[in-house]
Amino acid sequence: MSNKNFINVEVEDGVATLTMAMEGRANKINQDFIEGLEAAVDAVADREDVTGIILATAHKDFCVGADIEMLYRARDAQQIVDGCARLNAAYRKLETCGKPVVAALTGSALGGGYELALSCGYRIALNSGRVMVGLPEVSLGVLPGAGGTQRLPRLVGVQTALEYLVQGKIERAPKAVKSGLVNALADSPEELKAKALAWIAANPDYKQPWDRSKKMKWPAPDPTTNAGRMVFIATCAMLYKKTAGAFPAPEAIVEVVREGSQITFDRALEMESRAFAKLATSDTAKDIIRTFWYHRTAAEKVEGLPVAEDAGFKKVGVLGAGMMGAGLAFVCASRGYEVVLKDTSAEALEKAQAHCGKQVARKRHLSADKQQAITDRITYTLALEPLRGCDIIIEAVPEVMGIKHAVLKETEPLLAEGGVWASNTSALPITDLAEPSLRPEKFIGLHYFSPVEQMQLVEIIVGEKTDEETLARCVKFSRDIGKLPIVVNDGYGFYTSRVFSSYLMEGLQLVCEGHDPVLVEWAARVAGMVVSPLKVFDEVSLALGRKAFESSAKYQDEAARQLEGTELVRKMVDDHGRLGKAHGAGFYEYEGKRRIWPQLSAVASGGRVPEETGVEYIGRRLILAQIAQVANCIEEGIIRQHRDAEVGAIFGIGFAPSSGGPLAWIDRQGVANVVAELDVLAEKFGFRFVPAPVLRKMAENGERFFEAV
Amino acid sequence: MAEALIFDAVRTPRGRGKDSGGLYTVHPVKLLAQTLDTLAARTELDTTQVDDVVVGCVVQINEQGSCVARTAVLMSDYDIDVAGVTVNRFCGSGLQAINQAACMVGSGFHEMVVAGGVESMSRVPMGSDGGAMFDPFMQWKHGGVPQGISADLMATLNDFSRDDVDGFAARSQENAANAIEEGYFKGSIFPVVDQNGLTLLDHDEHPRPGTTKEKLGKLKASFAVMGEQYGLDAITRKRYPQVERINHVHHAGNSSGIVDGAAALLIGTPEKGKALGLTPRARVKAMALSGSDPLLMLDGPISATRKVLAKAGMSIGDIDIFEVNEAFAAVPLLFMKTFGVDRDVVNIDGGAIALGHPLGATGAMLLNTAIDVLEREDKNTALVTLCIGGGMGIATIIERV
Repeated sequence: MSNKNFINVEVEDGVATLTMAMEGRANKINQDFIEGLEAAVDAVADREDVTGIILATAHKDFCVGADIEMLYRARDAQQIVDGCARLNAAYRKLETCGKPVVAALTGSALGGGYELALSCGYRIALNSGRVMVGLPEVSLGVLPGAGGTQRLPRLVGVQTALEYLVQGKIERAPKAVKSGLVNALADSPEELKAKALAWIAANPDYKQPWDRSKKMKWPAPDPTTNAGRMVFIATCAMLYKKTAGAFPAPEAIVEVVREGSQITFDRALEMESRAFAKLATSDTAKDIIRTFWYHRTAAEKVEGLPVAEDAGFKKVGVLGAGMMGAGLAFVCASRGYEVVLKDTSAEALEKAQAHCGKQVARKRHLSADKQQAITDRITYTLALEPLRGCDIIIEAVPEVMGIKHAVLKETEPLLAEGGVWASNTSALPITDLAEPSLRPEKFIGLHYFSPVEQMQLVEIIVGEKTDEETLARCVKFSRDIGKLPIVVNDGYGFYTSRVFSSYLMEGLQLVCEGHDPVLVEWAARVAGMVVSPLKVFDEVSLALGRKAFESSAKYQDEAARQLEGTELVRKMVDDHGRLGKAHGAGFYEYEGKRRIWPQLSAVASGGRVPEETGVEYIGRRLILAQIAQVANCIEEGIIRQHRDAEVGAIFGIGFAPSSGGPLAWIDRQGVANVVAELDVLAEKFGFRFVPAPVLRKMAENGERFFEAV
Repeated sequence: MAEALIFDAVRTPRGRGKDSGGLYTVHPVKLLAQTLDTLAARTELDTTQVDDVVVGCVVQINEQGSCVARTAVLMSDYDIDVAGVTVNRFCGSGLQAINQAACMVGSGFHEMVVAGGVESMSRVPMGSDGGAMFDPFMQWKHGGVPQGISADLMATLNDFSRDDVDGFAARSQENAANAIEEGYFKGSIFPVVDQNGLTLLDHDEHPRPGTTKEKLGKLKASFAVMGEQYGLDAITRKRYPQVERINHVHHAGNSSGIVDGAAALLIGTPEKGKALGLTPRARVKAMALSGSDPLLMLDGPISATRKVLAKAGMSIGDIDIFEVNEAFAAVPLLFMKTFGVDRDVVNIDGGAIALGHPLGATGAMLLNTAIDVLEREDKNTALVTLCIGGGMGIATIIERV
């Protein structure tokens, strides 16, 4: 069966069922898809005995979109516009064939696949959490290019549509029917068919709202009115507040939804494809796709990493019932593990229990039984004995070597035969933590990120003695609990904490140099960073930061330390009693509306005026400070594969998502340019900016980290 | 270049811009027509000698759409020969019309032009005409916020406190109340009548005499919710990243009033004036336009004033009185702060806060007022300036003749 004839056409009792059965496991949108769809429509559109069409899938999913590889490499805008025109024509052909069409969503419809479903007159989905619909294109730095930005607003109104389009929100079927993304649910394929037939019978002359008359009646608020215009102003404001102009795709979406609403539907499709082409051919989209599609998929498949077939963990011990410990306990329990959560404080255990209870309750799509099962899997204990027989113990106790050594000695003997000991430390070298271990080859670092229920990254750190088997089991384990693993070698701060703290410290440094703290915070956002340095420092707490400086001192030489920044933190904590957000005062004031402490600049800089300042300058310093450390991590062998540098930065520490990651950033700037800029900064501001030899060598040899697209 | 002389000026009273307003039942075309006729009557004008009627009007749609100037000319008693053109430079339209007329006659290409403005905010609400100024593509390039937020931003940037703006507003009310009591407007405001000749409105409806700073202090800042809860303040960080939080200080009591009104002035060459037996009252000495940041929007008077002074070869000290449109209290406050000008020579007879700001007509009304004040105070030179949407400024210097 040639790929072009991938749609099976069967007519029964006047209804034609078009079943998409592309070769392989998915219905992928490409040229064959377009031709096959058109051929299938042609086969039934003119038949008088056909009263309606059901579009269905033979695969697990309905259709989950286009070929990303094509999108990734495309640089010819005209080609893209023409391609979109062809796809749009195929969808329009189906949409206007004269017969009512039902999309039978027995599987997920995403991106171009959901746009295909939107071209049908009616969408019925299986009432299952497995079936998902949505338009996630924005997360790849583009926008829906097959009519999604024009059909969805016309169906559910601009406000709801913008929410889904701008956030790239994906909805499970049961919820999707509430927002109008699907029209109806069915509990079984048979019920789905029955409902489809009923709708077809009741709507023999169905036309989409935009094909009924020249002036369409919009769902409220009508974007062609003054009130409708206000929705866009508010949307622009909210978006700008959230993204500080760092993401072109959502901005283009708002623009194209607005303008498309003012013109005819077919010309609006054309307008959409031009906006799509502009984004798709941009550097930003390429870099985002490389990381969020390729790197991420590779990380999910643990490519390049040793992975065990079976991690062999059944019982998980978690030490420390703080936010991290509680979160870990819940995550593991929800994935079927038996969990023992131990702490020395009954109060802490109580809090943890409450937290887990809340998290369980949020899983509304699970039955009460299933929810109870998760709760039942967690044992909260002050005692040691329940830990006996744990296959893996993850310690999440305070970041103090002494405490960590103590719990290690206390609980390691309770591990099952061949059990694994993991530390959730964010910075202390695994090798040093493993020092008192009886089996250092089974000792490993598993650095999770808070809140662990949401943050996908786990930074796996290999200690000097950690064996391959332990690593392989932990890699498997991380996938089993739904985490995205990177694997790094040992060193204080590893990769993520080292890079992240260079960012925070540079923020402090800039304030000490006299840059306006308000500007520093905003510049970070404009540079694309997800969180601003002073805000984060407050949230992490200055007290904690102060402690971290103390423990890091023995690992860093004098020159490497940011004397001014650490001194500022000391001043804030010791002289001004400003410990951070949880204590009501830090770099920010929290009484009433949050704002930068008015005295911060004076305290930090004593009135110094920097030579050069501004949003762009500050942003550049903040990024380059991190870039320098990323390069050092590569130089020192902490980063084992380049992909991990990107995945770690993007999914762990909020490095500018629209850059694709620090290495992609370096590639875009040009390695030689980055080296030159770092040299200048090193000269002016010190050691921390000195470009690692690996960068210099790459510059000399004209090398780059990733293939140029 | 010929001289551009202003022979006379008239204006309607300003009615409340609501369906309860005194001029609400008057179609804007008729409001303007009556104004044109009043001007012609006062000057015993042979309207066949009028080359054009240039009218400022901002919301040119529906009842004010489709060249309201020509429509009004056709509804007036003016000769059918008289052309009409409607101009939109937002809040500066009225002064734009005057400047344009001055250019027409000053160039020597035309001889006599009627220039003015009309705006019925009660019949044709602000924003009815759409426009892309705040559309997404503008947002992404420049950022745009509702004017009230721009005003609050301007206050924040210049440290104008709630007290400052309310104090200014109270004084504006005081000045207007005084002018009204003293009958200073009698020479220029004419009563608007119905088809029976019965008076519909003969006085400005918007002023609130007896307004004090303390009373104003009780009003809630109008743009706080929009700015903070709906996130519109965030857009200002695009150009003003150093402003962490905007201090919201403006409200209906210290911002321009929404009103209905129309005005018309007679502008021509000395020769034509002589031929028609007209006595000039003032001459247009210089004019300037400027562009400024559309996000802040309201500081156009600063750049326009600098430009017009330079063109006139004058300094700020050479100007006797100022009319700086009170779009929001922060606007004239910034003007006075920047140029070191005394409150006592700014908006002497009150401003838009007390009297109202009929968008397309205000510029012409301010010029009308400036002429009256110069004559009354026996002074020589006046400067009229307005801030304009999209970030523009317009300024005109006139001299008494």
